Amino acid sequence: MVMACRVINNRRHVGLQQLLSFAETGRTFLGPVKSSKFIIDEESHESVLISSPVRLLESLDLTSAVGQLLNEAVQAHNDTYGTGTNTLLFFVGAWSSAVEECLHLGVPIPVIVSVMSEGLNSCSEEVVSLQVPIHNLFDHVDNTNTFSGFETPSVNLCPFLQIPSDTGLIQKDHELKDVSQSMTIYSLSGRPVKSCKLFRLQAKVEANKDASQTLQTLINSRLADTSCRKSILTHSRHFNSTDNNHWVSKPDGLEQPSAATSKTYSCNDLVELAVGLSHGDHSSMKLVEAAVRLQYQNACMQQGSCSLPFMFDVSRIFTCCLPGLPETSTCVCPGYITLASISSTALIKELKDQPVRVVLVQGDLTENYRHLGFNKSTNIKTVLESMKVNQDSTEELWAHHVLQILTQFNVHLVLARGNVSDHLNEKCVYSKRLVIGSVNGSVMQAFAEATGAVQVAYITQVNEDCVGNGVYVTFWRSVSVDVVDKKNRMAILLKTEGINLVTAVFTGPVTAQMQTKEDRFWTCASRLYYALKEQKVFIGGGAVEFLCLSHLQIIEEQSLKKGNQAYSGWLHNSSSWLASSLALYRPTVLKCLANGWHKYLSTLMYNTASYSSEFEASTFIQHHLRNAIDSGSPSSYILSEYSELNSGVFNSGISNKLEQIPRVYDIVTPKIEAWRRALDLVLLVLQTDSEIVTGHGHMQINSKESEGFLFL
Amino acid sequence: MSRLEAKKPSVCESKPLTRERLRTTLSVLKGIVASCYGPSGRLKQLHNGAGGHVCTTSQSSALLRGLSVTHPVLKILTTSMQNHVSCFSDCGLFMAILCCNLIEYVEGIDLAPTTVIELNKQLLSLCTSYLKSEACACRIPVDFSSTQILLCLVRSILTSKPACMLTGKEVDHISALVLRAFLLTIPEKAEDHIILGKSIIVPLKGQRVIDSTVLPGMLIETSEVQLMRTLPIKKSSALKVALFCVSLSGDFSDTGEGTLAVSYGVSLESAVLDQLLNLGRQLVWDHIDLVICQKVIHPSLKQFLSTHHVIAIDRVGVALMEPLSKMTGTQPIGSLGSISPSSYGSVKDLCSAKFGSKHFFHLIPNEVAVSSLLLCNRNDTAWDELKLTCQTALHVLQLTIKEPFVFLGGGCTETHLAAYVRHKTLNEPGSILKDVGYTQTELHLIAEAFCSALESLAGSLEHDGGEILTDMKYGHFWSVQSHSPPVANWPDLLSRCGCGLHSNQEELSWSFLRSTHHPFVPQNSLPHEAASSANNLTLDCFTAKLSGLQVAVETANLILDLAYVIEDKN
Repeated sequence: MVMACRVINNRRHVGLQQLLSFAETGRTFLGPVKSSKFIIDEESHESVLISSPVRLLESLDLTSAVGQLLNEAVQAHNDTYGTGTNTLLFFVGAWSSAVEECLHLGVPIPVIVSVMSEGLNSCSEEVVSLQVPIHNLFDHVDNTNTFSGFETPSVNLCPFLQIPSDTGLIQKDHELKDVSQSMTIYSLSGRPVKSCKLFRLQAKVEANKDASQTLQTLINSRLADTSCRKSILTHSRHFNSTDNNHWVSKPDGLEQPSAATSKTYSCNDLVELAVGLSHGDHSSMKLVEAAVRLQYQNACMQQGSCSLPFMFDVSRIFTCCLPGLPETSTCVCPGYITLASISSTALIKELKDQPVRVVLVQGDLTENYRHLGFNKSTNIKTVLESMKVNQDSTEELWAHHVLQILTQFNVHLVLARGNVSDHLNEKCVYSKRLVIGSVNGSVMQAFAEATGAVQVAYITQVNEDCVGNGVYVTFWRSVSVDVVDKKNRMAILLKTEGINLVTAVFTGPVTAQMQTKEDRFWTCASRLYYALKEQKVFIGGGAVEFLCLSHLQIIEEQSLKKGNQAYSGWLHNSSSWLASSLALYRPTVLKCLANGWHKYLSTLMYNTASYSSEFEASTFIQHHLRNAIDSGSPSSYILSEYSELNSGVFNSGISNKLEQIPRVYDIVTPKIEAWRRALDLVLLVLQTDSEIVTGHGHMQINSKESEGFLFL
Repeated sequence: MSRLEAKKPSVCESKPLTRERLRTTLSVLKGIVASCYGPSGRLKQLHNGAGGHVCTTSQSSALLRGLSVTHPVLKILTTSMQNHVSCFSDCGLFMAILCCNLIEYVEGIDLAPTTVIELNKQLLSLCTSYLKSEACACRIPVDFSSTQILLCLVRSILTSKPACMLTGKEVDHISALVLRAFLLTIPEKAEDHIILGKSIIVPLKGQRVIDSTVLPGMLIETSEVQLMRTLPIKKSSALKVALFCVSLSGDFSDTGEGTLAVSYGVSLESAVLDQLLNLGRQLVWDHIDLVICQKVIHPSLKQFLSTHHVIAIDRVGVALMEPLSKMTGTQPIGSLGSISPSSYGSVKDLCSAKFGSKHFFHLIPNEVAVSSLLLCNRNDTAWDELKLTCQTALHVLQLTIKEPFVFLGGGCTETHLAAYVRHKTLNEPGSILKDVGYTQTELHLIAEAFCSALESLAGSLEHDGGEILTDMKYGHFWSVQSHSPPVANWPDLLSRCGCGLHSNQEELSWSFLRSTHHPFVPQNSLPHEAASSANNLTLDCFTAKLSGLQVAVETANLILDLAYVIEDKN
């Protein structure tokens, strides 16, 4: 085997350029107005529609080492946080070019690494001032009991969302009613009133417009969040009126520059939070919000008085795609919705109105399935000693045995994580038992908790303690014909009293969009999850990035004044000459780092179509940057000028009916970690000077591009 | 049908060192290792060129895993490096660069290889005896009553690997964790000879570095389902443990060759399961609370055990077996037959823990000599590097306990040693040459090459075009920007020496390391008390560095000694 080695940073750093070109492809995903992309395979002529970096990188050819590292970073971030990959990808590109700029100016690599790294640290500490605590969100959910707004038509919930590229996600007004109807129908408790709790908050907002006296006093008493209350109607952070000065009129503390924001602002309202975190994708966020409410209700019913703090559990949300159905059928429902063969219609009709007993099987439900770690011997042969005629195959015997056990324990429903033998399935249908395969692990867990069933590996393990009780099986919709897909399957609903499981159903006429819808739903779910988990959010809409930008400019100016001082601690290796030259290069590197945020903001503004060119956007940012720095405290400047900044950054001038500026929120840790990951990747590539190709790879090198390689 | 092919003749190459091919490949290899050296070293991307895993590293052990060299001479070098790294973990790059330098610097000298080799040996023994002596000015004794030196040592190791991607704060955090993890492996009851426990690194990728932590005892990853099923455990006394290294999955993998005929109606599987259930009954009878299996436990056996309130943990993997056996005092059970009661052990407690999205069983031993270092880093490649680095640091701490000294790092030991050798060969050549019959001129030539090799090694720490200076009093390493102002301004430009022991406050005089300077007597540094109380020293592992020096010189000698390379081309 030959090992080859190639130097990758002669003059221009190849790795950084590769990063930059990969990142460029994701540029249009930034911001709420996302342009989707078609990726076409030239050989098979297959194409996919994508609108997120994760899907983009999945579809790209990433055999180069740098591409692999980028993909790894994006995947890891997505796996951990489920959101923030757009930011990650953008900053990889922005900081790659920033670092190249530094290299071009002759800054030594270790200096770039330490100044950028510590610069970002300093920003991460600075933006804490823009955090907004989240308090007692769910108190309000309960407090609104008095307003029965179910009759109030929720007309305006998503009024102005007419983003052209977003048409697939526009919700109709009546959609909401549709959701609640479907919920009412399938509410096991038989009390439709229960389900309207879900929409009470919106209803309250509706009532708010009427300025009912009692409501007004109630709101006034909670002054801190009134501003947000009305803003629910406006939703999109991108379509705000320009002439609003709402935040300037905020009471107490705002005008004092040093006042901690957390005292002035807090977010106590789930609707407000969800809208703020939706980042333009209201339809998905509304589903998530509904899911949270369902989980909350369930938790309350289980515990009686909600004594324990409620935790939103993303793992107990399941998604089910039903392409072909009209858009309006998209909803969330308590319980588990899955697809079953149309041939079991009669069976389901029969099981419909009675609680059934359930068995949960961890593996496949086939005759030759063995648990993980069981090695089958291949050299064992069964011989027949006598000439007993044996018509039944082993599978037949096994299926018979399984059926016997199911009959013995009076089990009418089997959920299996793996595949189910067709033969057994047929037999079970015949004996009025429903078997569902390929069930997700957390669904199994939810059923185990709710029914008292214990998951088993083999059906032979089943004893009375393993069997769960009280599962109801129905069609998802009363008219089952609606929901038959191409493979002759129909949607069915399984649920049981108190099950902590919510299914989000995605429907739509365009099959290509299903993946995107699901992805967007999960993104929104992750955002809300982190906001609730961390109990804090950032003021969003570019405020955090703007603060970083101005903070970096301030420390850059400071270090120009101070000169050679106090920053040698930034370098691990403080005795090197690099430590003493740090002061010389520091302003340059910080400026380049800040350019990343500047580029982010201007691209965001350009993408939301509020500015015709990035240059124009850039000028706007420069103007406010100067003001912010001159004001002495950028964070209070941002808070006081939030409305103007926000409208400047995100106003598209479409809507002038809106009265309030809605708050836009960002999640804390995933955002900061996305920056960190992006910078880490860039710096890792920056410090790499050669790639070593081992193993068989050299064959390809020989044929393609052997120049520049050294062989060992 | 067999086919015979005429054998190719072997290829014989004389004086391999004079060949162009070897020189080029040797310089490529040196280029790779030297560019990795030190805290500002450059990283290498190792991959197979076909979309496989990419490893970004500057560590010798990771490089070696990817290096596959063809030239036999290079193989000698990489094999010595491999051996050194597997014994000491640290100083692999040091060894490889020094070896390449030693070969390179004697190239132009017109002396017989035997002379070079013999004199190199003499110089090596001069060095080792100095480094081991009390008089040695570049080593510090380790004061175990404070953590200062040990923390500096761990810090130096962490900062010398930039691919870990740690910020200053994270370095502090991880150094403290590594040290704590190590301290937890020292048994509380000190006997005649201490047997150190083990520190296990548990991966938790994707989280923030700052989320890393250390726990006494062991963490065994498990699924949420299993955790739910077994917990909560309520028992006041210690838990009785049985540890199995044999698979309890109920298969019969050792049926041997040939076909096994089984008559109809006989189920081998159920026979094995019966045997397993018998085993289960015995475990219940013996009042076992916890069954741990390296491999898989049959679900039916698990079910049986759990109905009898016995916790079963399976698939712990071979890596955890040895520490598990030590920690619980069990003998791993290797058969399904009867179990001797002496093979059972115990743990103090078992609880559950959740870190990130992973669920763990946390085994707390009666006497803590096992620790788990839960290591987080943002991406895979940086995590791998951090793991290797932490392993090195833990190993280095173990070595330091055996030989309680540390070397001054940051290039100071190398430059100081070179100054010492120069001084000795010039002023006391007789003592070096007393047993061997070589002239002083020969000694001076070789000593110059030897010292240049050491100094060039120290110079490899610089990757950004800076200049290396040495002071004329202690012989330490100082770095300065290239094209810097004249000599008079040096005290303004220099802040500290490489190891951080000396500052520009002392009245020192400097000269360029590469220029020929007059030999001087390198003086002993500050008193040891001052040294051990100094903050932020850069330190190196004593044992590993000393061995690295020896291996480098011996390997260089071996390579210089080669007269022919005979390769079998078949």
